[in-house]
Amino acid sequence: MGDAGVESTVSPPESTTQDSFLSMTDVFLISLITGLFTYWFFFRKKKEEIPDLPKIQTVSSPARDSSFIEKMKKTGRNIVVFYGSQTGTAEEFANRLSKDAHRYGLRGMAADPEEYDLSDLSRLSEIDKSLAVFCMATYGEGDPTDNAQDFYDWLQEADADLSGLRFAVFGLGNKTYEHFNAMGKYVDKRLEELGAQRIFELGLGDDDGNLEEDFITWREQFWPAVCEHFGVEATGEESSIRQYELVVHTDVNMNKVYTGEMGRLKSYENQKPPFDAKNPFLAVVTENRKLNEGGERHLMHLELDISNSKIRYESGDHVAVYPANDTSLVNQFGEILGTDLDTVMSLNNLDEESNKKHPFPCPTSYRTALTYYLDITNPPRTNVLYELAQYATDTGEQEQLRKMASSTAEGKALYLSWVVEARRNILAILQDMPSLRPPIDHLCELLPRLQARYYSIASSSKVHPNSIHICAVTVEYETKTGRLNKGVATNWLKNKVPNENGRNSLVPMYVRKSQFRLPFKPSTPVIMIGPGTGIAPFIGFIQERAWLKEQGKEVGETVLYYGCRREQEDYLYRQELARFKQEGVLTQLNVAFSRDQAEKVYVQHLIKKNKEHIWKLVNDGNAHIYVCGDARNMARDVQNTFYEIVAEYGNMNQTQAVDYVKKLMTKGRYSLDVWS
Amino acid sequence: METSQPHSAESMSQDLSELLKEATKEVHEQAENTPFMKNFQKGQVSLHEFKLVTASLYFIYSALEEEIERNKDNPVYAPVYFPAELHRKAALEKDLEYFYGSNWRAEIPCPEATQKYVERLHCVGRKHPELLVAHAYTRYLGDLSGGQVLKKIAQKALQLPSTGEGLAFFTFDGVSNATKFKQLYRSRMNALEMDHATKKSVLEEAKKAFLLNIQVFEALQKLVSKSQENGHAVQPKAELRTRNVNKWHENGPAAGKESERTSRMQADMVTTSPLVRWILALGFIATTVAVGLFAIKQSAARGSRPFPCLLQALLTH
Repeated sequence: MGDAGVESTVSPPESTTQDSFLSMTDVFLISLITGLFTYWFFFRKKKEEIPDLPKIQTVSSPARDSSFIEKMKKTGRNIVVFYGSQTGTAEEFANRLSKDAHRYGLRGMAADPEEYDLSDLSRLSEIDKSLAVFCMATYGEGDPTDNAQDFYDWLQEADADLSGLRFAVFGLGNKTYEHFNAMGKYVDKRLEELGAQRIFELGLGDDDGNLEEDFITWREQFWPAVCEHFGVEATGEESSIRQYELVVHTDVNMNKVYTGEMGRLKSYENQKPPFDAKNPFLAVVTENRKLNEGGERHLMHLELDISNSKIRYESGDHVAVYPANDTSLVNQFGEILGTDLDTVMSLNNLDEESNKKHPFPCPTSYRTALTYYLDITNPPRTNVLYELAQYATDTGEQEQLRKMASSTAEGKALYLSWVVEARRNILAILQDMPSLRPPIDHLCELLPRLQARYYSIASSSKVHPNSIHICAVTVEYETKTGRLNKGVATNWLKNKVPNENGRNSLVPMYVRKSQFRLPFKPSTPVIMIGPGTGIAPFIGFIQERAWLKEQGKEVGETVLYYGCRREQEDYLYRQELARFKQEGVLTQLNVAFSRDQAEKVYVQHLIKKNKEHIWKLVNDGNAHIYVCGDARNMARDVQNTFYEIVAEYGNMNQTQAVDYVKKLMTKGRYSLDVWS
Repeated sequence: METSQPHSAESMSQDLSELLKEATKEVHEQAENTPFMKNFQKGQVSLHEFKLVTASLYFIYSALEEEIERNKDNPVYAPVYFPAELHRKAALEKDLEYFYGSNWRAEIPCPEATQKYVERLHCVGRKHPELLVAHAYTRYLGDLSGGQVLKKIAQKALQLPSTGEGLAFFTFDGVSNATKFKQLYRSRMNALEMDHATKKSVLEEAKKAFLLNIQVFEALQKLVSKSQENGHAVQPKAELRTRNVNKWHENGPAAGKESERTSRMQADMVTTSPLVRWILALGFIATTVAVGLFAIKQSAARGSRPFPCLLQALLTH
């Protein structure tokens, strides 16, 4: 800017020079502003373009970078987790698995198979400690998800040599569909056929059950298998494995501390309907009597008072109870781990984004947690052993724990014999491994939650609207280690004696509706098969049929097949059943006493004696069949007997007979309430 | 999906449950293959569409359940009366409040196809109650089967909270096992006293019910494309695999939350460029003007006139 030039224009404050001054400034400013606007437009355009560019880049980069091998090498990964996902679940699992890798000194990445050339799998062995994991969802009728279609086609057509490739597959499926987990199963099988090495068993997640749980269970055993395979260990300090952080409360308001509630604080003191799993009702036990006359077992009949709870039920429904662990067992924990069990603490999730803030209601005491919230009686799963191993100071014990948690054949066998078959629970393990002394809070993090137990209701709401009856056998047995193991809920129920000091005879419960129902029309015949405690729902059914008869309804044939060990020992509800028979409510009472003679006589043997009658009821009488009790053997044997009857009297071959029975099930005429 | 049974002597069965399944096979496939359903299954559904579906379902179920209540003791319906397990009206009201806010009753549209369906339901319930089971079967059993898969799809596609808001319709709290419940329901259908002629009418009514549903899907499809043409603010169809973390659903009341979320999402997408733009523009102008005036001031060496006076001089001219 030439001073002189400007000077001359500015100096005289007269109008003419002022005019020119103004116009000069005007021009100056206008041109500046114009220039500024031009700049602005320029600038703005750039701003708009920049967001575009990154987008374009990501679209084109897969085409250029379609080798996941190169990407893995570039980013230092050794584990790739491919996902076949339609709704995002498999993708989420893949992300979680790839994040897990870090804990074991490995580095993972999740990948969409649609974006890469999967034939590169044959090259994965170029990377040290490499592994390909597949989270494959099955879609529709056994089909791959959209993003896995190409991969599926390639697997079918290609004749690749995948030797050197290590893999594992987790399948996401749904048991209500015929082709359960078809994609997961196919990928697992095909990869092996192509020469790849499976390092962990196929996981089959069932969305009809609990897919998340299936995944977690698989994952917890998967990583130990991987570590074993690569000879690595979970790295770093204990804190890197912990999911929760312990906070001990020294000065806490006891009103804010949980004392065994399942949901809302003080929900056991201030009971408010509606009552359900998160808000159980404290029912008073009004009766608790032994049902068997002899033998070593203890079978019992309990009655729970549900007056004023607004709880309704129907015969065939289940009652859920929340049991408590045995106090002496809990005390032993305190002694063996040298902890004051009445310490009040919270375990807070280190992952702040997780919905699950605590593993169980917190703040609470160790005593409460071990009594009401944690399962301390089942043999622990391998992942628990794996995490505890670090605390064993004796190398022999530590090795043994690690071995049992591994996926080697020897390790699995050791776990099976030393833990499962010997029925060693966590306390037994602590006792038998004296150098293993984990911190109690880590143990609380690892142990699974104490589950509610379900019992088939043994009463009819028509006859007992304010009372729910339970028929159960206490579980008690001696293990190979000479210990006496007791079932949690059954022993707890056994000790619920009515009218004892207030609290002791209370049972937190709720009703879970079932689909096990008498036929709509009372005139429809029913054939009930329920040996042992399987008789429970049928007592309710028979009570209801009696009530219907009293109401003047026409009640159809009511047939019962029951079984027990000895007539004089454990014939449950003997008198009640005799009475019902006498009154004509029970039209046929068939009882098998398995041990009263040399050969075993079970319910199915009695059914076989009445083939013709049963066929008539089922085929002509529209009878409904009900089976309740043991799932493993009895239910299967009974079903086979029905196939026999149908084949013989219905003049069908085996396949047709099976079809006939399966159809009865579809139409709700053959119902099962079985447990294992 | 159930396993299809091979045909044998049993196909002569007169069981209503089996006859219904057979009779509606074709029309069921038709419903699954409407563009709307096909897109839904792929996760290509917008929030706008989903809200419209929920609104139509509300009208349909309100009518259906009103007629069910009317006929609950009528032997032509009583055996299949399962209000605690099946009824959807309350759940739909919860969902509508979540999507539209507390004023949902005034805001929800009722397309003609939905109205037609509602009228048929009232007609059946009042004049032909023996056919009501056809409508209950068509909707409820469908909801219990494929409905569960649709729930997952909707949750991911619309990024609805995992706590279930907006999806109460798909959640059957009273049914612990859908497969077993369907078996029980079938046994109840078969317990209905029905002569051959009535059975045939029920089959026809079930087919009609499916067609009414198809017409509703088609009407909704048209509604959505029309509003897109008119340039309404179209929520982009969320691709299934975008995984934004939604941190804000856990707090605050349900009412109006959804619209808040939408505007926040859109705000996020446009980023902060307008604001930055304005700041920079003003800054530029200010700097340039300041520089310019400073230069002018500099040149006014003859008696340094204070900056403000110069400005004043400029302004008065």
